[in-house]
Amino acid sequence: MTGRDLLPPALLIGLLALVPWATSSNTMLNFLVTVLIVALAAQGWNLLGGFGGQFSFGHAAFFGTGAYATALLQIRGGVNAWIACLIGIAAGGVVGWVIGVLAFRARLRGSYFALVTLAFAEVLRILTNAADFTGGAAGLLLRLDVRPMNFQFASRAVFYWIALVCVAVVLLLTVMIERGRFGAQLAAVRENEEAARALGVDALAVKLRAITLSAAITAAAGCLYTQYFLYLDANIAYGSWISIEALLAAIVGGIGTVAGPVIGALTLHGLGELTKGFAGDITGVDLVLFGLLLVAAIGFAPLGIVGSLRRLRVVRLSGGAR
Amino acid sequence: MITPPHISRRALLGAGAATVALGSPAILRAEPASVKLGILQPVTGALAQDGELGRHGAQLAIDEINAAGGLQALGGAKIEMVFGDARSNPEAATQEVERLQGEGVAAIVGGFASPICLAASQAAARYNLPYIVDVGVSDQIVKRGLTNTFRFAPGFGMVTSVALDNLVKLNDAAGKPAKTVVLVHEDGLFGSGLAKLMQTELPKRGFEILETIAHPTPARDMSNVALRIRSLNPDLVIPSSYYGEFVLLARTMLQQHIRPKGIYCVLNGAASNYRFVREFPEAAAAVMDCNHWADPRNPKAQALKKQVQDAGKLWAYNVPLNYSCVKLVADAISHAGGADRGKIVDALAASTFKDHIMPYGPTRFVNGQNQGAAPVNLQVQDGDIKVIFPTEFADAKPVFPRPA
Repeated sequence: MTGRDLLPPALLIGLLALVPWATSSNTMLNFLVTVLIVALAAQGWNLLGGFGGQFSFGHAAFFGTGAYATALLQIRGGVNAWIACLIGIAAGGVVGWVIGVLAFRARLRGSYFALVTLAFAEVLRILTNAADFTGGAAGLLLRLDVRPMNFQFASRAVFYWIALVCVAVVLLLTVMIERGRFGAQLAAVRENEEAARALGVDALAVKLRAITLSAAITAAAGCLYTQYFLYLDANIAYGSWISIEALLAAIVGGIGTVAGPVIGALTLHGLGELTKGFAGDITGVDLVLFGLLLVAAIGFAPLGIVGSLRRLRVVRLSGGAR
Repeated sequence: MITPPHISRRALLGAGAATVALGSPAILRAEPASVKLGILQPVTGALAQDGELGRHGAQLAIDEINAAGGLQALGGAKIEMVFGDARSNPEAATQEVERLQGEGVAAIVGGFASPICLAASQAAARYNLPYIVDVGVSDQIVKRGLTNTFRFAPGFGMVTSVALDNLVKLNDAAGKPAKTVVLVHEDGLFGSGLAKLMQTELPKRGFEILETIAHPTPARDMSNVALRIRSLNPDLVIPSSYYGEFVLLARTMLQQHIRPKGIYCVLNGAASNYRFVREFPEAAAAVMDCNHWADPRNPKAQALKKQVQDAGKLWAYNVPLNYSCVKLVADAISHAGGADRGKIVDALAASTFKDHIMPYGPTRFVNGQNQGAAPVNLQVQDGDIKVIFPTEFADAKPVFPRPA
């Protein structure tokens, strides 16, 4: 890992960290907090889907577990919010590991793996929707009690910075993984699992580590969601929306790149918000744009924004050398 | 090259003078600054239909107030609608609340779905921004101790207890023809909550529950549910579902010739919807519902209903509810003497507002819940939706058991 690897993510985080000084508008901060939560979930997805090549359609299972664990521990167990969040992240990791063991041991790959993860998320959604313990369909409501001890802040900026720190930590982690042995093993498994195994890579262990880590990161997004919105129900926590948001941001931003998910989430939501301003009375135009962008990204830039920029630079550099 | 259209200096001066001349009477009248009112509704996503109805209701009230010369207490200040699309999810709703706050609204009305109302009112609470819930029935909404949140309409607990009482009343008056019940419910907040409540309450009131059938939303096929009902042959079917699912169930039951003595809905998405009555009159005939509805005897409600229907729009409970909620806020702003939020909250808390078109008693808020609010029982009769309970608001007599 060199300074050059760290420079672009550090610049991105540095710029984002300055936003609360540049604007006092809570509209902007609230918007960015939502984007950061999505970005964090997407970073989790990207670790397993981008670096490990295991496409999951059910990251909601991890997001929801983090969210529900955080809320339940506080409401039913009287646990401090900060500790509840940490346990929530761990719980997400455990769920990821269990799903990983079940799916990877059965040697599920590609669309089969995707469908199984989708099924797990749906099962969890239906169970939490039915059980009394999780508040059933009425959901769970955290008491509004604005104190830093409760992980609730009067200023949106503080929460924004905390979310940004989470994203920054994961960025750093991703750079370390990308440059380290684990990253190389992940890439080997992604490109050709049989060949990786022939080289002595324990493919199952590598994939299990990836899904556990990935799940924990996405669960952290769920914990932040709970603490920010203070309300969740089964459709919010385990609904397919977050699975889709997570993979959409990673794909549009640049699958298997360090900063891709963050840039993807910023671009998608930023453009959505901008068109909402322009569209005026035509409701849903931003959603149309969302769809068009995805089609464009897959059709013309399968490497996403970051991947395309990188390719552009390579082309220019090689052109200059001639 | 494209040449810009030529504008002479003289023409420009003329136009400027004309603008000043036309604009000056307004300046001379010194019209007071308008009061901005936030209207938050989900007009995209799964709840778009309801969101549009709510927006329409709010628009009607604002237009009416402005046409009558604005808020008299504020020297004729007009109300300006600032609309926010909640997109059928709580995150977008929160984002819109922040935007509305940024635009300086005096209060926010709307939300429709409970999760939206919960998140939006909480976001508004940060700024002590008054929030008036239009529909959101979850009782959690008014149990959080948020001083800025007010619900004009009845909540879930209130609606279900009235629904149960009226069911017993209805059955007793007809000589107790109904003894057995099948519950059909969607597996979301109100469906499952209702089913749970019915399971404990109905046996106490002499009904036997043969089975409780849950279904997801959206459900594309109801034939299994209908077949199950046929084999159980209950006297009464109590469905609580959203629009599409109930329409499907009612149609399937009609096709399969399943005719229980009554279909008694609670907070149903379709049973008191003119679209359903118009499109499937046979399936809708004699269906009963306990729900929000405008007071049919109120002349203003009648006029508004006519206005809405003449414009080719749908008359559903969202329209009069949002209309009334906007009127309620306008009244509170008048009492507060301006857009001061603390004063508006105080005015709402002390409100005795009467100028609404709902079948409610006097407005009185306790912990944000209007104590005068109550649901009514409705029945589809002769292609129209009639109020059958309570008698002081009713415009028709109940038809039960349903004629063969």
